[in-house]
Amino acid sequence: MYAEDYTPSELMAVAGARELKDGEIAAVGIGLPVVASFLAKRTHAPRLTILFELGVVDPEPIHTGVGLADPRVWYRAKVMSSFVDMLGMVLHRGLVDVGFLGGLETDAYGNLNTTLLGDPHGKFTHFVGSGGANDIASSAKRTVIIIRHEARKFRDLVSFITSPGYLRGGNAREAAGLRGGPVRVITDKAIFGFDPQTRRMRLESVHPHTTLEDVLAHMGFRPLVPDRVPVTEPPTVEQIRLIREEIDPEGIYVR
Amino acid sequence: MSKLATLAEAVASIPSGAHVALSGFAITRCNMAFAREVIRQGIRGLTISQCVGGMDADLLVGAGAVERMIYGGGSLDRFGRLNNVNRAIESGTIIAEEYSSLSVAFRYLAGALGLPFIPIRSLRGSDILARLQQIAPENVSTVRDPFTGEEWLALRPLVPDVAVVQVQVADEEGNAWIYGPRWDNEEQVKASQRVIVITEQLVPTEIIRRDPERTIIPGFKVSHVVHLPFSAHPTSVYRVYDYDAEHIKEYAAATRTVEGFQAYLEKYVFGVQDHWEYLERVGGMRHLTTLLADPILGY
Repeated sequence: MYAEDYTPSELMAVAGARELKDGEIAAVGIGLPVVASFLAKRTHAPRLTILFELGVVDPEPIHTGVGLADPRVWYRAKVMSSFVDMLGMVLHRGLVDVGFLGGLETDAYGNLNTTLLGDPHGKFTHFVGSGGANDIASSAKRTVIIIRHEARKFRDLVSFITSPGYLRGGNAREAAGLRGGPVRVITDKAIFGFDPQTRRMRLESVHPHTTLEDVLAHMGFRPLVPDRVPVTEPPTVEQIRLIREEIDPEGIYVR
Repeated sequence: MSKLATLAEAVASIPSGAHVALSGFAITRCNMAFAREVIRQGIRGLTISQCVGGMDADLLVGAGAVERMIYGGGSLDRFGRLNNVNRAIESGTIIAEEYSSLSVAFRYLAGALGLPFIPIRSLRGSDILARLQQIAPENVSTVRDPFTGEEWLALRPLVPDVAVVQVQVADEEGNAWIYGPRWDNEEQVKASQRVIVITEQLVPTEIIRRDPERTIIPGFKVSHVVHLPFSAHPTSVYRVYDYDAEHIKEYAAATRTVEGFQAYLEKYVFGVQDHWEYLERVGGMRHLTTLLADPILGY
């Protein structure tokens, strides 16, 4: 049964969960990806393995954390190890199926910027940088981008490529020696994929209560738009209940 | 052999201009008491490195102790960004060699193994690499796989002069245990020329011998052991104490401006004689005991 009452963030978390298949290994950062992966594990993907870059596997937190450095999110983990173990011997080794990524900006080819805004050679504002994001973008079999739907976040070209998507499109990514690449972009208004040839972002579905015009009006570039655009599958009542009652009861990740 | 030392003695062993690997990650197990003492002693021109920049790095950079920072990005998690580090990068007052977490970890790993270089898939195609090729071309190059002919990005090993590591348990020789995830600490320790261990708890070597498989830092690499409770405050030490959220918020707010950070330094670094006075300044035992970890939860 589909839910009537849900927020755009909750829909994003549910759409993220739907990207995960049972038995897969997912590299996850804090925020909506945590909600998406825990939701998947409690529903259709009980054999999902969730890993955090700093060396944590399959935790079962009972309190919400402020970030990966918060021991709240390590609670009841099955493994506590290191970057070399997680990002090296699992991710770089080629075993991570899905990585979730976010950022300050993305572009028509799914490149992500978490480093700086402005002119990299002149005046700029520095933010967070890569952490494990570049590693995940380079070596995961596929990545899913979760990002707010704002024109300033959807740029024709990002001002700094922290985590490569398809670079300038076509086979540029393969030529750079990278694996995988982004397969989905989930926003609070729509879901996108990428054209298999040009690698340009392509609209896949528009969320309920949103219009195509609204989606396009809040982007800094025009994505490929198919003739018929379906409506995004809404969350189920049970998915919303799990998010609100069990996964993020304090509403810290999902507002 | 006992390597027990005071914090002041351990810090005094580090010359200006040294390369120091820091054990912190954002707001956990950061070398906070160490950083405060480095600043009080006026040590300058440091190169600091860590996979994910933390509050220890931000304090040192803000105080002008750092010339070069080798890191993979960083923040104070939800409490904010590394305002001092960001300001220093934007104004060009430090040289920031910015990588990804794994590329810094691989550089330590290569150093730890004594390898001449390490190939990696990360960074390729990114502007992180483009920037590194400009500011640190000596550390990034390419290499041809002798077996397949494939071209790889190669990184130069990192061999810090000293790794400074906050741990939960150590003996007086420096054999040390780290509880919880270790992020880059083991590779840092093993890549470095020597190690300063700062421990919350000091135990007899007999305790170490009973569970030697827990020993992440072998005593033979350690030059100084500093036994100093709450030495990572206001950041957390898993299974010992939680982060001090109110203090980190105060720090994040103070570091929004240079003036605010100077006032913070006056109050919590220059305005106290040592770590013990600092602990009084932040609220003393009455406050610190509220941060002690629940033994089941670990925070």
